[in-house]
Amino acid sequence: MPEITVQGISKTLGGLPTLGEISLQAVDQEFIGILGPSGCGKSTLFNIISGLLQPDAGRVIIDGRDWTGVTGRVSYMHQKDLLLPSCSVLDNAAIPLVLKGMSRRQARERAAEHFRQFGLAGFEKYYPSQLSGGMRQRAALLRTYLFSSDIMLLDEPFAALDAITRRKMQVWLLGVFQELHPTVLFITHDVDEALFLCDRVYVLSECPSEVRLEVKVPFCRPQSWRTITDPGYSKLRDEILEALSI
Amino acid sequence: MKRSKSIAEQGAPFFFLALLLALWEAAVRWGGVPQWILPGPLQILKTFGETFPLLLKHSRSTVLECLLGFAAAVILAFIIALLMDQLPLVRKTLYPLLIASQTVPIVSVAPLFIIWFGYGILPKILVVVLVCFFPVAISLLGGLAAVDREYVELFRSMGASRMAIFRMVKLPLALPSLFSGLKISAAYSVMGAVIGEWLGAKEGLGNYLTLSQRSFMVDRVFAAILAITVLSLIVFAVVAAVERLIIPWHRLDKR
Repeated sequence: MPEITVQGISKTLGGLPTLGEISLQAVDQEFIGILGPSGCGKSTLFNIISGLLQPDAGRVIIDGRDWTGVTGRVSYMHQKDLLLPSCSVLDNAAIPLVLKGMSRRQARERAAEHFRQFGLAGFEKYYPSQLSGGMRQRAALLRTYLFSSDIMLLDEPFAALDAITRRKMQVWLLGVFQELHPTVLFITHDVDEALFLCDRVYVLSECPSEVRLEVKVPFCRPQSWRTITDPGYSKLRDEILEALSI
Repeated sequence: MKRSKSIAEQGAPFFFLALLLALWEAAVRWGGVPQWILPGPLQILKTFGETFPLLLKHSRSTVLECLLGFAAAVILAFIIALLMDQLPLVRKTLYPLLIASQTVPIVSVAPLFIIWFGYGILPKILVVVLVCFFPVAISLLGGLAAVDREYVELFRSMGASRMAIFRMVKLPLALPSLFSGLKISAAYSVMGAVIGEWLGAKEGLGNYLTLSQRSFMVDRVFAAILAITVLSLIVFAVVAAVERLIIPWHRLDKR
């Protein structure tokens, strides 16, 4: 049962106090949203959780072990797909397995097994530049999943997509995650996206950012693309917007 | 419609060149320009055909110098660029020197090489290295530096070593930039060898060029120029072909 606890993380970047003191937690198979104004240090937070950055204070505990400043435990997906233009989609997806020491052939086979599930079947040999934006993000997500399947950090993965593709990707993501059961931390600045996808949402303030609000999303996940019509929805949405002081 | 337009577009440079050559031929033929001042294109082509075995013989040493120099320049450029990319101190130290080295006129250094290293093949190779090194080093360095930092961080978050990041991310992403430098160098490399030979050599197109010039065989000078141009284009075409082979994905990107 993966469990990730962020305890009192703070960080000053280039003289600017970016993260005030942030604590959050995600337990088994939860889908956690992290919502905040742009420039509030959300990506810095993920850089710390993934171990790329050392925090000034605080700790990152995963499954009872201290992973502060150590990379390699959780997988991290950026807003840009960051697929290597020089490799086929299959080779791109297989990269984390190769880095873990698997042979290239074995890694390709393992990665290929997931292509259908990620809606990429038939595109194994294509170069990333030949795919649509949505497909590239799915390939990047597959690569992320193959690195660490139980805890995934997703940093605005759909922000660069157009509204229609984004909606499709959200619905698709929910479907895939119902089969894969990962624990997810999901950065977004879209309130509706957060309420649509997440079990729980942390709302961050502006720099130096702190957790201003933590809400449980009570709606059961919609079975389809339908708009959530629960009367509690707009109330919760307003509450979050107020916390963001919009 | 579109097809015929593209044929017209592709044919335009050839048509223009043919027009220029025809004008040149007409001016020489009916303008009373003596043969030893300026021969017409047809005469040059004829001389080219007649002296072809001679040109071929001289080309051989020129091509050898050019290839050896080009290879040495590429290896040297790789070493310098990699060191500069990995070690910021080396980068800061060498960068101004690298630029300054380009402002030294080659024609002034080449005679020194001959004083130091004699009339053999070495000074010619050195001139080629001098000409070819800079574009390759700068383009590789620029390519490596232009790699999106997020790629590096993503690979770092996946626990990739510095070496793996370089091999899997930085080098492949720098290849398109490297090849634009390689193509510039390739086009200049023959010229570098000719300059080297020009100042003193036993054979080579540069040597042939000076000999022809001193005996006022202008048609031979032009034939040699033609040979140099053709050789340069061939070297360029080979590098361009290697580029297409190594980075097929780059052409897709540009689409």
